[in-house]
Amino acid sequence: MTTAAIAGSAAAPARITLSGVTKRFVTPRTSVNALGPISLDVAEGEFVVLVGPSGCGKTTLLNLVAGFETPTDGEVRVDGALVAGPGPDRAMIFQEPALFPWLNIEDNVAFGLRQHTHMSAAERRAVALEYLRLVHLEGFEHAFVHELSGGMKQRAALARALAPRPRALLCDEPFGSLDALTRERLYAELQELHAQTRRTTMFVTHNTREAACLADRVVVLTTRPATIASVVAVDLPRPRNFYDPHVSEQAGQILAQLRAEPTAAGGGLDA
Amino acid sequence: MPEAKPLARRNLALLGFLLLLLVLWQAVWSLGLLPSYSLPSPAQVAVRLAELARDGTLWPSVQASVVRMVLGFVLSAALGLVLGLAMGLSALADSCLRSLFLGLQTLPSAAWVPIALLLFGLGDAAIYFVIVMSSMAAMAIATADGISHIPPHYLRAARSLGTSGVALSTRVALPAALPSIVTGIKLGWTLGWHGVVSAELIKSSIGLGYLLNAGRELNDAAQVVGIMLVTIFMGLLLDRVLFAWVERRIRVRWGFAPDTSRE
Repeated sequence: MTTAAIAGSAAAPARITLSGVTKRFVTPRTSVNALGPISLDVAEGEFVVLVGPSGCGKTTLLNLVAGFETPTDGEVRVDGALVAGPGPDRAMIFQEPALFPWLNIEDNVAFGLRQHTHMSAAERRAVALEYLRLVHLEGFEHAFVHELSGGMKQRAALARALAPRPRALLCDEPFGSLDALTRERLYAELQELHAQTRRTTMFVTHNTREAACLADRVVVLTTRPATIASVVAVDLPRPRNFYDPHVSEQAGQILAQLRAEPTAAGGGLDA
Repeated sequence: MPEAKPLARRNLALLGFLLLLLVLWQAVWSLGLLPSYSLPSPAQVAVRLAELARDGTLWPSVQASVVRMVLGFVLSAALGLVLGLAMGLSALADSCLRSLFLGLQTLPSAAWVPIALLLFGLGDAAIYFVIVMSSMAAMAIATADGISHIPPHYLRAARSLGTSGVALSTRVALPAALPSIVTGIKLGWTLGWHGVVSAELIKSSIGLGYLLNAGRELNDAAQVVGIMLVTIFMGLLLDRVLFAWVERRIRVRWGFAPDTSRE
């Protein structure tokens, strides 16, 4: 099997539309405006990076798209259909790799393929191996999670998310806990994967250089409750090197946008 | 193999400690601090156990107790897992059953024997009942706690991979709760073993509990102490050897403990 089989045409990349989305967390004692209102249109196959100060509600925004949370106001649509809950069309990658320790790596990657009931066990295995090759983990299919390094775990998580051919990929600071060298390699691999699979991607980070390196468009968010402060189009050729001076320059511009954001009174955790 | 040396030293220390206990026991006996009909010497116990083994009394009783334990325990674990799963998934089931189970757990296993005999008469069914009532609650509670403490990102990852409903329970919730479930099963085994011996003590014609009681009736202190030692040994054998091994493997695989097997 080759790249053609991976990219496939069965599942076209999704278009994600947020219109007037807000999220308010209400507990008996407090009520927190976490987000919004936010309106954002992510095109098919686009790589959008959301940057914002920590605690601004970036993860909440991603959870709304994933369907783990429901918006207080407004709506999230994927290809026009209202998001009503989590679904296999939107794969999520978390800060922790969230691989299942009771399964070996191959079974982890094949986990989401069970929903494709027409696939035989042998076919699921073949697809899992193909994605493990894609993230350079061939030879580790029988390893268990505790036997992998942090970077290998996130690679496996990426393979697990991509194997069922989701139409969108949601990444919540997936490389935050990795060392610089591993991260740099994963940026290259993620760009390569995106070039091959063209999944619509929403990627959350607070690292502006990461944003400049990966994004087609960077959405800069304000402090909580997060709204869109500005949108920066990154028009650099790919693949981009993390330490490329043009990437640094873009990162500097994004950082300037972020700094222009006043620390909102009542912004909660924001520094 | 950096672990080998400390482990060997710890085992050596344990062996030394056990020998010390044996010497103390012998000393208490030799000094005549307790009447000889209530405290046998280590040698008397060893001789009596050898006799029981030779005349064909010991082995059938060990076998009977273990077979009862295994059957009763399988039943108890199955019930405990199902009820624990229900408690873990439903707040209503949890609030009802948890209080009940915590209450029942305050009863020592021997306290279940009279009601078991009244309910089930003199057969083995009464013994199974005692095993289940002694051990099921602990396993149900451990299962429920394991499920309610599953890291939420496991469930989220599974749901965003298209898993829902029953599959979410069987393919994610139960395996994710496995470390806690195994701890519950280990505890349940010990409690169930208490239950078997307690029940046999009061009504049975075979089994370790029966031999204990027979020893008391015959004023045979050597038999009483000997059977106590066999009961401890059988209990430890499964708890320390089988369950401890399974528990250790799971803790390593789940990333709770370092893997020392490959260093």
